[in-house]
Amino acid sequence: MIQILETLARLAMWLLLAPLLPGVINKVKAWVAGRRGPPVLQLYYDLARLWRKGVVISTLASPGFVAGPAVAWVALAGAAMLMPLGPAGSAISFRGDVLLLVYLLALARFCTAWAALETGSAFEGMGAAREVSFAVLSEVALITAVLALSVQTGNVTLSDMLSHSVGSGAMLLAAGLFCVLLAENCRVPFDDPNTHLELTMIHEAMVLDHSGPPFAVILHGASMKLLLFAVLLSQVVLPVGALPPLAGTAALAGAVLAVVVAVGLVESLTARMAFRRVPLILTASFLLCLFALLLALKGGA
Amino acid sequence: MTPGRLLLFAALGLVSGAALGARHPRVWLALTLAAAAAALGAALPLLVGLAPAQWECRSAFPVGGERVHLRLDGLSALFLVIVAFVGGASAVYCREYWSDEDHPASAPGGRLWMSCLLLAMGLVLVCSNGLHFLIAWELFTISAYFLITLDRASRASRSAGWLYLAASHGGAMLLLAFFAALAARTGSWDLGPMVERAELAPLFWLALFGFGVKGGVFPLHVWLPSAHANAPSHVSALMSGVAVNMGLYGVLRFSGWLPVPSAAGWAVLGLGAAGALFGIALAFVQTDLKRVLAYCTVENVGIILIGFGGALVGASHGDAPWGRLVLAGALLHIWNHSLFKSLLFLGAGSVLHATGTREMSRLGGLWRAMPWTAGLFALGAVAVSGLPPLNGFVSEWLIYLGLFDAAAGRGSGAWMLMPAALAMGLCGALALATFVKAGATVFLGSCRTRAAENVHECGRLMRAPMLALGAACVLAGLAPVLFWRALSRSVGAWRPSWAAPEPPAPIVTLGWVHVALAVVLLCAAAWLWRRVRANGFRRAPTWDCGYAAPTARMQYTGGSFSGIVAGWFPGAAGPDRALRRPRGPFPARAGWIEEFPDTVLRRVIEPASAAVMRASAATRRLQHGRVQFYVVYLLGGLAVVAIFVWIGAGP
Repeated sequence: MIQILETLARLAMWLLLAPLLPGVINKVKAWVAGRRGPPVLQLYYDLARLWRKGVVISTLASPGFVAGPAVAWVALAGAAMLMPLGPAGSAISFRGDVLLLVYLLALARFCTAWAALETGSAFEGMGAAREVSFAVLSEVALITAVLALSVQTGNVTLSDMLSHSVGSGAMLLAAGLFCVLLAENCRVPFDDPNTHLELTMIHEAMVLDHSGPPFAVILHGASMKLLLFAVLLSQVVLPVGALPPLAGTAALAGAVLAVVVAVGLVESLTARMAFRRVPLILTASFLLCLFALLLALKGGA
Repeated sequence: MTPGRLLLFAALGLVSGAALGARHPRVWLALTLAAAAAALGAALPLLVGLAPAQWECRSAFPVGGERVHLRLDGLSALFLVIVAFVGGASAVYCREYWSDEDHPASAPGGRLWMSCLLLAMGLVLVCSNGLHFLIAWELFTISAYFLITLDRASRASRSAGWLYLAASHGGAMLLLAFFAALAARTGSWDLGPMVERAELAPLFWLALFGFGVKGGVFPLHVWLPSAHANAPSHVSALMSGVAVNMGLYGVLRFSGWLPVPSAAGWAVLGLGAAGALFGIALAFVQTDLKRVLAYCTVENVGIILIGFGGALVGASHGDAPWGRLVLAGALLHIWNHSLFKSLLFLGAGSVLHATGTREMSRLGGLWRAMPWTAGLFALGAVAVSGLPPLNGFVSEWLIYLGLFDAAAGRGSGAWMLMPAALAMGLCGALALATFVKAGATVFLGSCRTRAAENVHECGRLMRAPMLALGAACVLAGLAPVLFWRALSRSVGAWRPSWAAPEPPAPIVTLGWVHVALAVVLLCAAAWLWRRVRANGFRRAPTWDCGYAAPTARMQYTGGSFSGIVAGWFPGAAGPDRALRRPRGPFPARAGWIEEFPDTVLRRVIEPASAAVMRASAATRRLQHGRVQFYVVYLLGGLAVVAIFVWIGAGP
């Protein structure tokens, strides 16, 4: 009973806190640019408004157009349930759960791309093609990072992998995972969430035809994914699981905030890259994770 | 009934089906299904532990001078289940797909050869005598050839059939050498466990490459894409889902019974990783729906070999506990692959049946006319991409878990397993991209050409097998625990010390997580749909940035979808391009054709066979038909012989 309540509380925390992150990023961007910017809670208002709105569905779309966002959202929420939260651990933990997490992210990608292609729009096709192609590299980088963690800690359970110090490879892993975070969450320099030119977008181009509640679900899922990567990155660098509960939670929250501010700063200070450069940067992040893996292999033996 | 009786019953059913099938299609179907049920009845109790772990029958009755020796153990029973299940599904499917009305000339022959194929595969699995194994293997090869070339009017299937026959016989020569060498060294054609005879280890290489040709092991897969793509779809399902596994069965069987050389694990692991990457890279860029599936088979064989190579490495590194995990994963993936691949091939067959084309760029928007096919193909696409909560993920996860365990344990040799894990990650992401592309190009959006309009959903006889295969995919994903005991029996047949009847704790948890995930997925989709309905929705044309006159040809094509990744593998997946520009003031025709031929076939096999042909042509110049010169040849030959005789007789 207590476990169920705890799981529900954890889920509520993920669902409620996630939309805060894009707001913080936008605030940081506005602050660097010297503007006032939208309120931090803007995404909450948007979600509430979209949830009440009517929907326009393309005449070509099948029921998968609505089911896709729902499945993707559940997959992301499920991945969030597997992610340990510092001293609190994770809701479900078993050997090999880390691979389930990686593949739940893949399931979400499958459904988003599938729903995008439902409309038969060239722009959405472009966005989906870019999404699945670039994800090939970022998924390999992610698996390499996970493998490095598991070699370093001698463990294949996510909560145990993240509660130990990663050692000398931590900075390499952090740099690699930060790139993966930017690419997977469609941030500058890989993608520009604010552009109005559909030809140059990845994620936003995939959701052009979505509206109303399905669109709200997509936006909320995207913010959960950002939080998920931020939490993962924070715990790779800081072994917060080993700290006492209060300090651990505070450290985790601070680290997530730092990651989000860093995303905002990157977004303010760099421009979006040309698409042909994206694979190069992602390969570089894969190599960073690979070096961390080699360090882990050499270091502890 | 004993397994022996049931197997005899199955064989009789298939033989009488072959005899009666040409005239009486219904009787044939009933007999084939009864035979499949009997074979399942023999194999399943053995796998789930209701029967002894091995059934053996030695008869004094000689066939070809050798006494009959049959054996069914955990490993062969695992494959027999696939033969029976997928064979039964294809038999039902072909009644409508390749019916006597549509194909009066070839349908009766198709039934005959299908019975022969199923019988031959069953015999391969139970024969425990080298000579009989070879005979059954040859029958299997020949009947598959006749099934591939069922549509003899098509040039593509004839040439695919020839390539298959040539490659298979190349492999069969290696197998002949393998069994002959084995018989010469052991003094008998009898097969069975002989792990203690270390001098037999080098024979593993003959078995690996001999069986590898049939198993679609990279780089011996050259025949596979064209044969699987050009065969009738129920045959493709049978070839990709079952026949390929016979090659894997051979490799597994003889690496379990015979000792293996120390490098075997690394070689299999390397071949598996290379094949998986090559297969999926080429699958992604193909434009023909069935070639996509065929290359995906090369990828999945690669994944199975990664698991199997890992098991060999584990076995040679002191019985490492992760070895049994990767082996169980590889065996489960054999099962899963045959389920979802035959589902996908049958789905592709329904598309081909309805539209008459396999070219994805001519299709599109088929979900409206073919909702069942589209839904089941989507299910198969999720499964083949290895996504939770379906079966493909469970087996890939087991292999991953074993590889990660090996890496985390830092045992000796573990470092070689890491590239395999990364290769699997790369393949997983590419498989996802491939099947998003394939499913979406064929079933979503709007119809690209006339071929995709006015199509019909497949009938009940085609839908039922697909539903059965799809249900099996879901079941294996949600309740992997049910399959564990069978896996443990098969693992025990390969290496007795590795059998573990109780499933490991993580796979039990994974099963429950999958069930929970599936329930929540359905609830969330229903909830969102209700919300959309409550808020009110209307249908409108795709927005497309406000463009007012969109046409179906403006959709993103499969070729553009895979363009980014195709650019990353210029060597492995380079296209053949044929451009015909519009010329003159009234251009008659213009076109742009892009094809992705098999790299190994194009770069290695074709130059090699061209060199052989050139050498033969050069030799033929001696044979010009002028008698005077032949007399000179004769005199020259006699002179050479005389010189030899003279030298030999000299001292």
